[in-house]
Amino acid sequence: MDYRLAAEKYLALAREVVEKAARGGAEAEAYIIAGEDLNIEIREQEVEALTTARERGLGLRVIGNGRVGFAYTTDFSAGALEETVEQARANAARATPDEHNCLPLPADYPHLDLFDPQIEDTPLKDKIELAKEIERQARSADGRVKITESCSYSDSRYVVAVANSRGVAATYYGANCGASIFVVAVEGEESQTGFGLAYSLKIADLDPARIGREGASRAVRLLGAKRIPTQRAPVIFDPYVTVNFLGVLAPALAADAVQKGKSLFRGKVGERVASAVVHIIDDGRRAGGLASAPFDGEGVPTQRTILVEGGVLRGFLHNTYTAAREGVSSTGNGSRGSFKATPEVGTTNLYLEAGDRKPEELVREVSRGLYVTDVLGMHTANPISGDFSVGVMGLWIENGEFAGPVRGVAIAGNIIGLLQSIEAVGSDLTFFGATGAPSIRIAGMSISGS
Amino acid sequence: MLLAPEDLKAVLEVALEGGGDFAEIFLERRRTTGITCEDNKIERVHSGLDQGAGIRVIRGENTVYGYTNEITRESLLETAREVGKAVGGRGTKPQIRWQQPEPQWDFRVKKRPDGVPVEEKVALVRRANEAARAVDERIVQVSVAYGDVIQEVTIANSEGVLVEDERIRCRFMVNAVASNGKIIQTGYESAGGLMGLELFEENDPAELAKKAAERAVRMLEARPAPAGRMTVVMAGEAGGTMIHEACGHGLEADLVQKQLSVYAGKKGQQVASPLITVIDDATIPGKYGSFRFDDEGRPGQRTVLIKDGILQDYMYDYLTARKEGRSSTGNGRRESYKDRPIPRMTNTFIAPGRDDPQAIIRETPKGLLVKRMGGGQVNTTNGDFVFDVAEGYLIENGQVGPAVRGATLTGNGPEVLKMVDRVGSDLGFSLGTCGKDGQGVPVGDAQPTIRIPEMVVGGILEEEGEN
Repeated sequence: MDYRLAAEKYLALAREVVEKAARGGAEAEAYIIAGEDLNIEIREQEVEALTTARERGLGLRVIGNGRVGFAYTTDFSAGALEETVEQARANAARATPDEHNCLPLPADYPHLDLFDPQIEDTPLKDKIELAKEIERQARSADGRVKITESCSYSDSRYVVAVANSRGVAATYYGANCGASIFVVAVEGEESQTGFGLAYSLKIADLDPARIGREGASRAVRLLGAKRIPTQRAPVIFDPYVTVNFLGVLAPALAADAVQKGKSLFRGKVGERVASAVVHIIDDGRRAGGLASAPFDGEGVPTQRTILVEGGVLRGFLHNTYTAAREGVSSTGNGSRGSFKATPEVGTTNLYLEAGDRKPEELVREVSRGLYVTDVLGMHTANPISGDFSVGVMGLWIENGEFAGPVRGVAIAGNIIGLLQSIEAVGSDLTFFGATGAPSIRIAGMSISGS
Repeated sequence: MLLAPEDLKAVLEVALEGGGDFAEIFLERRRTTGITCEDNKIERVHSGLDQGAGIRVIRGENTVYGYTNEITRESLLETAREVGKAVGGRGTKPQIRWQQPEPQWDFRVKKRPDGVPVEEKVALVRRANEAARAVDERIVQVSVAYGDVIQEVTIANSEGVLVEDERIRCRFMVNAVASNGKIIQTGYESAGGLMGLELFEENDPAELAKKAAERAVRMLEARPAPAGRMTVVMAGEAGGTMIHEACGHGLEADLVQKQLSVYAGKKGQQVASPLITVIDDATIPGKYGSFRFDDEGRPGQRTVLIKDGILQDYMYDYLTARKEGRSSTGNGRRESYKDRPIPRMTNTFIAPGRDDPQAIIRETPKGLLVKRMGGGQVNTTNGDFVFDVAEGYLIENGQVGPAVRGATLTGNGPEVLKMVDRVGSDLGFSLGTCGKDGQGVPVGDAQPTIRIPEMVVGGILEEEGEN
């Protein structure tokens, strides 16, 4: 596919649809995403499944007298587009008016390096080989790695076009790729799982040896896991676990949650909400960031937004609507899960900034505590109340050294309490997709065991 | 039909030219309506059309899959050619003779969503919003969502299966947020099914909303859940998350065949207490996980998975069944045309037993009563699972005591199922979207009141207070 050409074509189509939808004084916005995906799944050095896809869709938002209507379609025939226009207009008539519903004006966009031609140009057989190498690395790393749960390479190449009736007409194209492995290590009757993964904007960054060995090591180190008694002790989260918790926190940093009374951080701008070593940033332009883009789902330029600095809450993420409601500017966080949804407030590249402590030091300073490497049931944490209680696995720490794996335990608390009791932050900032974090140590937590 | 039978045949023939031994095409046209109310405003009124086709070619144990949004003969032939070529091998020319399987059950949708004006749906949402807000002044936010889906599918394969079906589902959700100025708690209720708007004949939106709001307020007054091991009674009305996580996933044949399940190789063995019978049933009228045909064109059926504690069978789709030279159990499902079918649950439940649910509580001196479960997750490889308690109470001397919040139950599927010592005569359903391999499908879960003598409750140690 010629992406430059496709970008022009879809932008022209978006403008055409906007023109039809905006008749009679309404405001309108069309968002198109079109792309191609590839997914390769390997098992036992065979291609178990290969998926190729061509996909496209258009989402249309119409605002008339402050009322928003929305419709989407994957059928780009003239008749289907006409029907989409009529539906969006009709839906608007049934919504509650709100004067803050509006569309952004045109702006200047940054130029970002989002399209690695190597992702498209690398032959299929080389991508298959990359995935196979990951499996070979995982299996040869340790003889106890006996089962491949899944091992895959995937990439996608896409074009985005946004146009609105206030003059926004913008487009970009990009590509990303990723590879992962999930393995099972077996010893006697016991099985433990582990994973390794990497996502990147550049295919050359995917290192099959690192991914494979990581998967093997995460599984093998849990073999022989024992239960521990219920107690209170210091807990260390590895970067993956910290990222999981950051994901629970993210909705509370969105202005819509604040405005609707659903955020823990409501009314706390300028206040200390976390320990002084905590800095949280959302950066829509971060070099190499999986979620980097010149503009958000509404055509607003992306930016770097400091959310928590030295433990103090600095602000929230906004889209055009929440910004209008508060009389501020959008932070370029009008995010769309897909063409099927209106732009909500969402994070881009969200991360907890790295500290200056080596991760080994965090462990060495603990006399008795838990090093957590995996969580079960993270999605059951309540982002509104901040309450969480999750199953965890990891390694017990005794006198600054790992003293064997642990399973069948749960940790519970509230995310605010957790943020306030972070006593040290590691230097090992690692991204899992678009969210990144280093290791952190929490002074004391409830650990439920036997 | 989304494509004429002779075109389907042409696509399947082209798909097998590259050397596959099985080809299938899944065409889908999905129309949706979504309405949400939050902040006392009808914020979103959405409608959408998503259509496309997925073509699957299998050779031995290897699968190639391709999909496109363009449902035209030309575009599908092109996709079929690409997909077919990628499997490798010597081409075959199949003799396809169509046979249209009969469903094991049937039903009629009484009130089709596309025959109901949007105003009427908006009114349901408004009514729920008002009912929730009227419950208590500590209700600070209410969000209500209504959604309907009309999914037309055409499924055809090179073995001659040709199925045309329409699935209509409606769903209604209420999420209430309560705050006393210090803490925030939430309450959630939902209803849904394979049906039209007759859903609301038995599920009054205002009643659902009231229940959600009352729970949020009640949880404000709840104390943090205790931590440690204790006896757990799960009420029938708590929903079926436990059975879904504790054993459902581990009985899906793909995980079993890959040795990723603790239940692998255990057919005929005692895997649960003799009081436990577990059934997966796609043929219960109106339930959220029900269907006439699965997404491979196989009639939905009732499968006994565990009988009196003995493992009877796993849940199979076409590919896993073929590997064992047997037939599918009609559990081949997919989220959309973008996905390959895999073995999935439908409506999964523990069959009711003989005990009086009230007596089970009365005869428990000390423990935790789970009145409503939240979400959960399982590690199928070792059977460890966790789920969230949305509404829980302490049991003290056989009486339901104070409410507790923020609890999670952690356990091991086989261990917990072997320990169950009481099974009630009731049966309570819950519904949800089950996620696996990145695909979400509608499911129902249910269980009677059951008692587990010992489980790990993830809570807060008492001396910490409100951390």
